[in-house]
Amino acid sequence: MKIITWFGTLTLDDNGKLLEWDLFQKDTNVLAESLVQPKETEIDIPPAGFNLRAVAMECGFVASNDEYNNLLRDVSIRAAKQQISSGTPDMGVIQAVEALDDIDETTNTLSERLAEWNGMYFPEVGLSSEPLARFVAKYGSRSNVLPDDNLYEKATSSMGAELTGLDEKLVKGFADNICTLYDSRSRIEEYLVKSMEITAPNLVNIAGALIGARLVSMAGGLEKLARFPSSTIQVIGANRALFKHLRARAPSPKHGIIFNNPIIKNAPWWQRGKISRAFAAKITLAVRMDVYSGELNESIKTELDAKIESIKAANPRPPKRENKNKNKGGKGRKQKAGGRR
Amino acid sequence: MAAKEVSAGIFEITERGGKQLATINLVPGASVYGEKLIEIKGCEYRIWNPKRSKLAAMVIKKFNIPIKRDSKVLYLGAASGTTVSHVSDIVSDGIVYAVEFSPRTMRDLIGLCDERPNIIPILADANRPQAYAHIVEEVDVIFQDVAQPNQSEIAAVNVKRFLKSDGHLLLSIKARSIDTVANPKKVFKEEVRKLEHDFDVGFEVLDSRELMPFHEDHLGVMARVRPAL
Ligand SMILES: C[S@@+](CC[C@H](N)C(=O)[O-])C[C@H]1O[C@@H](n2cnc3c(N)ncnc32)[C@H](O)[C@@H]1O
Repeated sequence: MKIITWFGTLTLDDNGKLLEWDLFQKDTNVLAESLVQPKETEIDIPPAGFNLRAVAMECGFVASNDEYNNLLRDVSIRAAKQQISSGTPDMGVIQAVEALDDIDETTNTLSERLAEWNGMYFPEVGLSSEPLARFVAKYGSRSNVLPDDNLYEKATSSMGAELTGLDEKLVKGFADNICTLYDSRSRIEEYLVKSMEITAPNLVNIAGALIGARLVSMAGGLEKLARFPSSTIQVIGANRALFKHLRARAPSPKHGIIFNNPIIKNAPWWQRGKISRAFAAKITLAVRMDVYSGELNESIKTELDAKIESIKAANPRPPKRENKNKNKGGKGRKQKAGGRR
Repeated sequence: MAAKEVSAGIFEITERGGKQLATINLVPGASVYGEKLIEIKGCEYRIWNPKRSKLAAMVIKKFNIPIKRDSKVLYLGAASGTTVSHVSDIVSDGIVYAVEFSPRTMRDLIGLCDERPNIIPILADANRPQAYAHIVEEVDVIFQDVAQPNQSEIAAVNVKRFLKSDGHLLLSIKARSIDTVANPKKVFKEEVRKLEHDFDVGFEVLDSRELMPFHEDHLGVMARVRPAL
């Protein structure tokens, strides 16, 4: 068995006894370099309970405990410095958010095509987007739908044409491709959640990982976001809604992407302005905390919750003055600044 | 002013009637995070505030802290090193492997490692001990303060790989990171049960106490691997 350690590659016999070794060059830079290489396979890591220190002395890599400690310390510090400076992790977040948007755009187009295409053969299916793609990828022709599927009735009594031969292959393959994109989308989302929790725990705690990632992406990085005043954070992302508004006469945006957070979205319309202001203020604080300390501080969230409670308590009913400001807060449901997600 | 050693390397300093925890400063003259330095009989102590450290709170709560002067410690969730710095004081002849996964926090931790001879910084996710198995040797103590929903799993995988058979696990369990609404007492009970029954390492919980009033809804746990029969 071959294993990799921080000081070299070792060959062990089945009982874990050291047979051969190939030591790395005893140079802090070289050792740090190999330390930061990702070790993905389970195979080449030392078994549980392996005595690294004793082996390092046995093969003559170091002569004493002190030397072992000092060298490992220097190497680890060097490696850690390298790891935190090699490209800020936000760059990954920014790319991932943009990839999500690209995938959404593409899957929308492709799903519409699939709906139309499949509609020739099974117009009653009543599915769209991801469920439709999964359905077609699974069965192909509706004649393959199994009795335990709740679309079985519809499939057997459909007015659509038969889907067979090359046509079936094509439609099914097309749906398969769309499914792959949806899979990729959910992997990217997982990645975003994970890396946001690591790089911006406070922002995640306040805004959620995905909205947080979107803020970071639109600002061009966490540190840039930290320099925005909260009034800007409140409307980041509104410009897209603004274009939509100009183009398609959608309602004009009042909040940016933070509006997607249920705290604001589910609040009655007359409280939304106040809540989103409080929310943006705490996001600002959270982001600064992430940049300057990186440690989770629960008190921001506690304060936000208290603030929201007090807003709700102080404004239990919609303001009276009717006609004048009728449209001020929008009428809820239809207004969706920042659009998708 | 007097200093009394309450556990290896951990002192109780009596000053004007008040008592405070402290450790002997391994790097005299340097305060790490703004803590007070006190000199008694030519020896410099760093005051250790239990409100800022789960480990200090565990000392005050009379846990039998298993860390010795020459201990090897694996510290999971090192953050910027507030507590790690005191552990580094205690194990003046030992070593601390400090694992932290947040790059920004790691920046501060590296600053601390630069000033101290016995801390090995490791930027890694404690869920994946295989990522640092080529660096970390077997240790006497694993201290864990990660505030994650799967804290006990993290402890189990690390203990399995790195803890000596006669070593100890010290764990700070935060109820709210496991379940934000449930009654903390229930969460604690369930976590202790999990530790004792759910993992192939088989823990024996030696001691467990809440860390009130220093840390609300936190349970300190000390455990060891149940000896094979
Ligand atoms: C409560 S703080 C620790 C405070 C520290 N023990 C002290 O007293 O100075 C928790 C730390 O664990 C880190 N953490 C959380 N999950 C982790 C994981 N899976 N791997 C490594 N570090 C983690 C967080 O980034 C955070 O810095």
